[in-house]
Amino acid sequence: MIAKARLFGDGLPATGESAVVKIVGATLLVQSDSAQHRAGIDSLRLRMVGFDESGIEFSWNDVDGSRAVQVLDKESVQALLARPELASSPQWLALQSGNRRNSVRRFFGWNVVAVIVLLPALLLLAFVWQADRIAAAAASRIPIGQEVELGDRAFAGMAASLHLLDSGPDFDAVAALGQKLTHGSKYRYRFHVAKADVVNAFALPGGIVVVNSGLIDGTRTAEELAGVLAHEIQHVELRHSLNAVVKQLGLQGLWLLITGDAGSTLAGSTVLQLTSLKFSRDAEEQADAKGFDTLVANGIDPRGMIDFFDVMAAKEQVSPPELLSTHPTSAGRKRALAAKQASLQGRSFEPLSLGFWPPRE
Amino acid sequence: MAMDVVDYEIFGNDMQYVEVELDPGEAAVGEAGAMMMMQDGIEMDTIFGDGSQQQSGLLGKLLGAGKRLVTGESLFTTIFHNESQSKRRVAFAAPYPGKIVPVKLSDVGGTLICQKDSFLCAARGVSLGIAFQRRLGVGLFGGEGFIMQKLDGDGLVFVHAGGMLMRRDLQPGEKLRVDTGCVVAFQPSVDFDIQYVGKLKSALFSGEGLFFATLTGPGRVWLQSLPLSRLANRIIASAPAAGGRSVGEGSVLGALGGLLDGDND
Repeated sequence: MIAKARLFGDGLPATGESAVVKIVGATLLVQSDSAQHRAGIDSLRLRMVGFDESGIEFSWNDVDGSRAVQVLDKESVQALLARPELASSPQWLALQSGNRRNSVRRFFGWNVVAVIVLLPALLLLAFVWQADRIAAAAASRIPIGQEVELGDRAFAGMAASLHLLDSGPDFDAVAALGQKLTHGSKYRYRFHVAKADVVNAFALPGGIVVVNSGLIDGTRTAEELAGVLAHEIQHVELRHSLNAVVKQLGLQGLWLLITGDAGSTLAGSTVLQLTSLKFSRDAEEQADAKGFDTLVANGIDPRGMIDFFDVMAAKEQVSPPELLSTHPTSAGRKRALAAKQASLQGRSFEPLSLGFWPPRE
Repeated sequence: MAMDVVDYEIFGNDMQYVEVELDPGEAAVGEAGAMMMMQDGIEMDTIFGDGSQQQSGLLGKLLGAGKRLVTGESLFTTIFHNESQSKRRVAFAAPYPGKIVPVKLSDVGGTLICQKDSFLCAARGVSLGIAFQRRLGVGLFGGEGFIMQKLDGDGLVFVHAGGMLMRRDLQPGEKLRVDTGCVVAFQPSVDFDIQYVGKLKSALFSGEGLFFATLTGPGRVWLQSLPLSRLANRIIASAPAAGGRSVGEGSVLGALGGLLDGDND
């Protein structure tokens, strides 16, 4: 067991002399290029050295002055510490308890640095996690007048690309059902029918509800159409799109704050996004539940709403698993509504009759 | 590890280059982009990693290259080997004003810790590694960051740094307080630490910052008088195009004097 080392001291070159070190009994033997030195282990001073502090320095005084020998490479250090004379010496034990204190301090220090570095990221995560709640709180401070204005602007922007059919039996049916479902609301609702084959309907903040003609064609009874309208109306009543806009704005602002990247102009792009906005799963389920309650309160059979999910399900044959999608699948929403239906305990409703609608062939 | 013994000559005063003389079959490793000229008969090979014998195998090579990335060196090193029958020379130039210092690794115990980016060239067989600073305070305030470069081997290495390079030998326990950023290289036996300047007034107004770097012996250390960042700061600060003041070029006429002196830069 011989450890490579470097010997420093009075009369030696400042860069040290190469040497080998070994422990024989209670003595440290140092054989350098020029001479042999020996020192009792109990007379040695010990210190951790090296850039990563994994080496040991032994220093002592002899007749020629002070001497220090450093063992830097890890294997040699291990080999020396295998000797009980050194490993159980009071100097080494004291050094080790100091080391332990140091490493605890260092551990805390590094953690503090990690926290400082990660804090902005954590803040962002927290905001994203609670974004819905924060956005809803912020959105609740926006007066209805501004909400209406926002919806109108968005609608004006998209009206050009919509082919509106604001007359005829379909429009009258939508308007009549809409009036029935929204009486007493603080919003002034405007209903529109757009000529498009896609089975879709959407609501803008402030009370604009647009139903595609494709959706109307897909409904079989007035109850089904009423179910769709009740759902969209609840998006307005519950301010879902407003919350989504506020959330988007907030997150964009936060992102801007963290990255310092201004990107494109905020407000303009957000109004555009209003039209392609997807609501969260929670929002959809909430609108379903509230819409269901509205139907029941207005004496309309909610089974129409439930049945309409079959039409929707037929359209989404190929759909991603529910967890991956922001939209809950129709089947999942239908199950939730069927459970609500069961809790009505067989309450019977009068069939909804508009007289002129749905047209009979 | 077989080390090539090379002869060299350093030219220039403040903008130096080193000419390395290679015997037939000998080779030198250069930092990519540092080569200034080479004589006929010297072949240049670019290799992934640092060309030392330790890194055989793909993983070893990748590891070595990764270390070089972290220390601010480029991924590839260039080996210059003499394929002719007689002595040939290759020269490596320093990238900014300063001094080139030759260090024989066997004189300092086989390892040298140096500032990132200070490696210029070496005899073949020297391996370039990283030394990670585990002391938080030293890494943050020591002026050298958390990563330093470790040169291992027996041969000659050429290290470059800004301004004048000073070599000092420290006796065991002898301590040198150094402005942060001025440490270039030291023997691993030297303890590199930081020390608070001591008085609040000094910390705020002395211009030396809050901390000194301390180097405690035994061992040899190299210091630079002008870290590149300091030089760059001064240049930017007095570059009118970059919004600096043009010092010493004006006249009593002020801006008008600038128009009249015919110097349009």
